[in-house]
Amino acid sequence: MPSQIVSLVVNGEPREFIARPGVTLLAVLREALGLTAAKRGCAQGSCGTCTVLVDDRPAPACLIAVETVADCSVRTLEGVAVGGNLDEVQSSFVDNFATQCGFCTAGMIMVAEALLDRDPDPSEEDVAEAISGNVCRCTGYRPIMIAILDAARRRRGESVEGIEGTAPARPAEEAVSR
Amino acid sequence: MTYRLAPIDKSPFAAEREDDFTVIGSVVQRSDARGHVTGRTEFFEDVAPPGLLHLKMHRSARHHARIRGVDLTEALAVPGVVRILTHADIPNNLYTPLKLIGVEPDDEPILAVDKVRYLGEPICAVVAESEAAALEGAARVRVDYEDLPAVFDVEEALAEGAPLVNEYHGRNFFTYEGHHCRRIRFGDVEKAFGQADHVFEWRYESAPIEQAPTETTGCVVIPQADGRLRIHSDTQACFFTLDNTALILGVPFNKLRIVGGTVGGGFGGKVDVIVEPVACVAAMMTDRPVKFVYNRYEEMQVSSPRAAERIYIKDAVMNDGRIIGRKVTLYVDSGAYARHTPYGTTKAAAHMPGPYSIPNVWADCHCVFTNRTPSSAMRGFGVTIGDFALESQMDRVARALSMDPLQLRLLNAYRDGDLKAHRKVAEGTALVEVVQKAAEMVGHELPEAYRRMSSTTREGL
Amino acid sequence: MIQAVHLPESAEAVAVHSARGGWIMGGGTVVMPLVNSGAATRSELVSLRRAGLAGIEVRDGVARIGAAAPLSSVEEHPELAFLRPALRTIASPTIRNLATVGGNLFVEQPYGDLAVCLLALDATCEIAGPAGRRDVPVAEVLASGIAEGEFVTAVVTALPEPGTWYYHKAMRRKLNSASIVTVASVTRTADGVVTSTRIALGGVAPRPVRAVSAERLLRDRPLSPEVLTEAGEAARADTAPFDDAYASAWYRARVLPVHLRRAFAGR
Repeated sequence: MPSQIVSLVVNGEPREFIARPGVTLLAVLREALGLTAAKRGCAQGSCGTCTVLVDDRPAPACLIAVETVADCSVRTLEGVAVGGNLDEVQSSFVDNFATQCGFCTAGMIMVAEALLDRDPDPSEEDVAEAISGNVCRCTGYRPIMIAILDAARRRRGESVEGIEGTAPARPAEEAVSR
Repeated sequence: MTYRLAPIDKSPFAAEREDDFTVIGSVVQRSDARGHVTGRTEFFEDVAPPGLLHLKMHRSARHHARIRGVDLTEALAVPGVVRILTHADIPNNLYTPLKLIGVEPDDEPILAVDKVRYLGEPICAVVAESEAAALEGAARVRVDYEDLPAVFDVEEALAEGAPLVNEYHGRNFFTYEGHHCRRIRFGDVEKAFGQADHVFEWRYESAPIEQAPTETTGCVVIPQADGRLRIHSDTQACFFTLDNTALILGVPFNKLRIVGGTVGGGFGGKVDVIVEPVACVAAMMTDRPVKFVYNRYEEMQVSSPRAAERIYIKDAVMNDGRIIGRKVTLYVDSGAYARHTPYGTTKAAAHMPGPYSIPNVWADCHCVFTNRTPSSAMRGFGVTIGDFALESQMDRVARALSMDPLQLRLLNAYRDGDLKAHRKVAEGTALVEVVQKAAEMVGHELPEAYRRMSSTTREGL
Repeated sequence: MIQAVHLPESAEAVAVHSARGGWIMGGGTVVMPLVNSGAATRSELVSLRRAGLAGIEVRDGVARIGAAAPLSSVEEHPELAFLRPALRTIASPTIRNLATVGGNLFVEQPYGDLAVCLLALDATCEIAGPAGRRDVPVAEVLASGIAEGEFVTAVVTALPEPGTWYYHKAMRRKLNSASIVTVASVTRTADGVVTSTRIALGGVAPRPVRAVSAERLLRDRPLSPEVLTEAGEAARADTAPFDDAYASAWYRARVLPVHLRRAFAGR
């Protein structure tokens, strides 16, 4: 069977591309559509760096032969910030130091988005379960969990707690320029 | 669930303190965080040049074998396979990464020539139009092996009659300025064992540890219009990689440009110069961009781990807890090639006998070749396993003497001004204060005499 | 290399591709890693995603679960709530959004905890293939597989009566970890003693197994810690433990009685 034209709705926009048989959703996003936020970490569903939302459910894009999700809705990290404004999860990840090398971040944020869409007030255990398919090899799980819980509070309109007992974070440029 | 920024304890060494920090002690956003949370940070694999070729390796299926022949016929017939590189295609096939700081000899081929020395050693590189075709091509390379006896244990490798792993070294160990190992000789340990109230000897051992970065090792090499090669890499050592690659390619350094510094986890596992040289050769030969990236299996199986070590520590100890002699015999498993392990073994030697003032020290630290995956850097390599052994030894000595393990450490801790076994005078030690603070934080009671000790005086000794 | 991905829209159409040697793929969690690493042994994939095999019906105390139902839809089904704790021990939520009930029957141990549950439940597999349809006990499918060209279309199980379902899985981590020992059971008691029991074990043999020795020993006896430990020790006769990255065969055999006890006694 030759390559075929497949369509998806990616971050709300209809997209068409040519797919070789068996090519993964991840390869299509990264190589055909230029959406490189989702990462290839293991290509076997173990690390979660490629997690995207397919019809609003988080799943590793490396395990999905793209033909099987033709015409589905796919949401990636590129579709989260609207008009360049970070959403609650993104800004909370920045403020709570939930990124280190950054390689797991896209997957972690997409899992968090799906969780908060379903449950605006998750418990710590709910967050731990939600991210249990995502590896942070820099082992920053604690700040990531803090960030997701904090994002939930921000989305509910409650006060931003940030880091206890400190002034809010300053931008890096400001600290360096002093 | 919240966390708290630990305040800086300014009480020790108050007189030496300057308080003009602009960053330490305050909360500053990471400069790369916005890129990470928007997905705009560019990792090496995020570049997608048109016409990109994919490189996959055919690797040794044996631990130790002579290569009688390599048959590429079937592999070349796979649709999409563009070219297959062998050792003959690499301008300077033999190298060792630390040659940049004068380490010799060159002991590792980029692609195997007549012999493989570990399971997974690269033999030939299949370059294809798609990843699937490259994988298929690599799987169809046929290698005819003649098995050789293999050795997997450091002490067995050093025994008489062990199979020779690496002919370039001639022996199964790295030679340090004519010596069979890195040595420390300070005082007279044998005399100390004769004078000691107790002699304790124990053995410690570790397995290789994989760094397991989430982003696997890889690079994308793009030929430029001006004839240079642009290398997008996740190496932790951009210039080290550039210089080694130039030497392997036999081109001036200014013919290469590295775009890097964004690393999806390294932990030391990405300082070897392992994917760039062969990807550069492939890009030069095809005049097209080439990607060579490890899959998860390669990352776990063939990327160099933290070395396995075996350490024997023999201590001469007095009834009051003073350690008057320490003899260390340490073996670092370099695997089949040197890479960074001669340096790691030197670090291990430099770390002995731990942060303690011991008047008689003897150490032999061996960098040993075996038919295991070559080892290399990982977070404090050469030191971490040694610390595990040293501190386990301290705890066991304390237990044997029915002594508080922290008091044993305070008694033996080095002080500013002490002459270390390496003939360096210790300065800025601070170990005494750190132990005291740790004891206080966990509610571990220390007697007054131990609380009064200081790293800058000899009080209490 | 994969030459074609088929998306048949009925079980009949699946059978056509399967008979031609196509590789049946549920959620892709087993097949796609092999495709991605170039280790796929077949060139055509047959996805069940559009074959209409993902439905779940519960009627008159009997559940019929489509083979292509993702584990997450079983987890979320209100009438299958008794299985929810078991499903939450399987992989991660993201994998459970893909992995299917049918696929779980064919994964290698120490994975396949739902298969262990279905064995304890004495479920039946509905199988389609070139020779038509047949119903086979899940025990038989787990023990000897299915014929070339066949595929499971659904599993059918009676819901256990309230208070008769037991499940416990020992893992290296609280979440997303394979089995060291999995215990699932339907056990009825009356007057403080066991009147009937069916116990299935995972993690302790190349396939999920029935702990028939433990079942025999428990009959007419109370579910006391002592009796359960004795039953767990007897269950070793029904197992063939293996070494892997999660635990050694020795360890699995050693802790089996502990976890069998915990499955029923909670500690």
